[in-house]
Amino acid sequence: MPDYNKPLPVIEKWNEPYWQAAKRHEFVAQQCTACDYIHLPPGPACTNCLSPDQDWVQLSGKGTIYAYGIYHQQWHLGFADDIPYNVALIDLDEGLQIMSQVVECENDALGCGRRVEVTFDDVTPEITLPKFRLVGTKQS
Amino acid sequence: MGLQELCDTVCIVGVGDTKQGAVPDKTGDELAIEAARAALEDCGLKKDDIDGLFVQPSYGRQGDYLKVGLMLGLNPRVGGAVEASGATGCYMIQHAALLLNAGMAQYILLVYGTNQKTNRNRFGGALLEEHAPYGAFNPSGPFAFAFRRHMHLYGTTEEQLATIAINQRAHARLNPKAVQQTPITLNDYMSARYIVEPLRLFDYCYITDGGHAFILTTADRAADLKKPPVYIRGMGRQEAFRAYETPDLVMQSFQQEAVAKMVFDMAGCTPQDMQALYVQDAYSPAVIAALENYGFCPRGESGRWIQDGRIALGGELPLNVNGGQLSETYMVGWQNTCDAVRQLRGECGARQIKGVERLMCTYTGGLREHAGALILRS
Repeated sequence: MPDYNKPLPVIEKWNEPYWQAAKRHEFVAQQCTACDYIHLPPGPACTNCLSPDQDWVQLSGKGTIYAYGIYHQQWHLGFADDIPYNVALIDLDEGLQIMSQVVECENDALGCGRRVEVTFDDVTPEITLPKFRLVGTKQS
Repeated sequence: MGLQELCDTVCIVGVGDTKQGAVPDKTGDELAIEAARAALEDCGLKKDDIDGLFVQPSYGRQGDYLKVGLMLGLNPRVGGAVEASGATGCYMIQHAALLLNAGMAQYILLVYGTNQKTNRNRFGGALLEEHAPYGAFNPSGPFAFAFRRHMHLYGTTEEQLATIAINQRAHARLNPKAVQQTPITLNDYMSARYIVEPLRLFDYCYITDGGHAFILTTADRAADLKKPPVYIRGMGRQEAFRAYETPDLVMQSFQQEAVAKMVFDMAGCTPQDMQALYVQDAYSPAVIAALENYGFCPRGESGRWIQDGRIALGGELPLNVNGGQLSETYMVGWQNTCDAVRQLRGECGARQIKGVERLMCTYTGGLREHAGALILRS
């Protein structure tokens, strides 16, 4: 996809393993080896106990839509053809929250509380973005 | 020394502002200096009386503390830059109150100036760089998410949210300083385009150029100045950086409830004692959050609570009677503090709240990280 013109993640020391895992279609978070706390975004220490000893753990990739918005305004040329597009806050089953998008559905199908699972969008040969898709049916 | 002992010890004695809206012939720093001059005139102090200076950085690398200090020709004893976006002005007032109490300064000047409208700041970046690949641009996203969540949990409607923008526009029409004077109806609101749905055009602050400045001193010194002093009765603040780890943070309940406890404890009063409320309203759901988190109405009920004139001038809790950032001017909360002081002095003409002696101002900054509040009295 040579003409992919959306912003790409900035890879740095702490998040490099996260993006390497995504490229392998694995969804991971940092886990503290001292207190077992699981956290994102990646950083130099545990945000619970400040221990520097961090490991990487596979997440289930399952979660729930906490809330979402539908973006109608074009702030970046790369999203021009996607408008209106959604951005969602996902409560992961492991207890943390991340910002992402829900794909493979119409925006009308979204709802707070709907179950989702991770899916991987290989946007360039180097970069894969973890996104989410709906699972199950709308309850209300 | 406990916070309660600081109650009523420091006053805002001078406020200054400039033309708001589009001011194409002036830089942000020029507007900051112009506002500082107006604040000095307002209280009758001379430039060289000032021995403390705080500057809020603004769009386009303006508002540099050293540069503004040089332009003002000051050698302040204390001061600095404070960076907490929409809560900065509030935090600076709190810093000033502590420094004045400690005797490290006698008269502290706070300034902010911006030409973000003329220079077309579209606030189009992602607040955290890891959000950009997903298209989460502009600071309004978390407010849209918060209102969506509110709709889901409590059945709040877009028509109920409309009341905030419509009410503030009606207030702005009584305020010659307000940039937006065209009345809006529910139909106008509902017909306006979505920006980040469920938020529409009128839920967004209106980007402006302009400057504001405040001067603070201790209560004993305040008595000798030109205008009636406005006392700082309560102060509160709370930061919240663990954004991804506290799920309800998007509703801002963690940080604002902590601020509420601090500010009401210091002031020795309750939300029901407030005769007016100013909410730093970058986006209208900020009002929903503040009303519930600070205890003005029960959780989940703000959509209904704000109806039937309750938050209008003349109502139970006049809210953003200047028009707020949705309609007066977008000065990251400084315009609300300025109007609050003028209300307590009785200078507000057609929008004057009759008999107002005690009110509250709340502030929010960043994605949702910064929260602060002040209770002011005449």
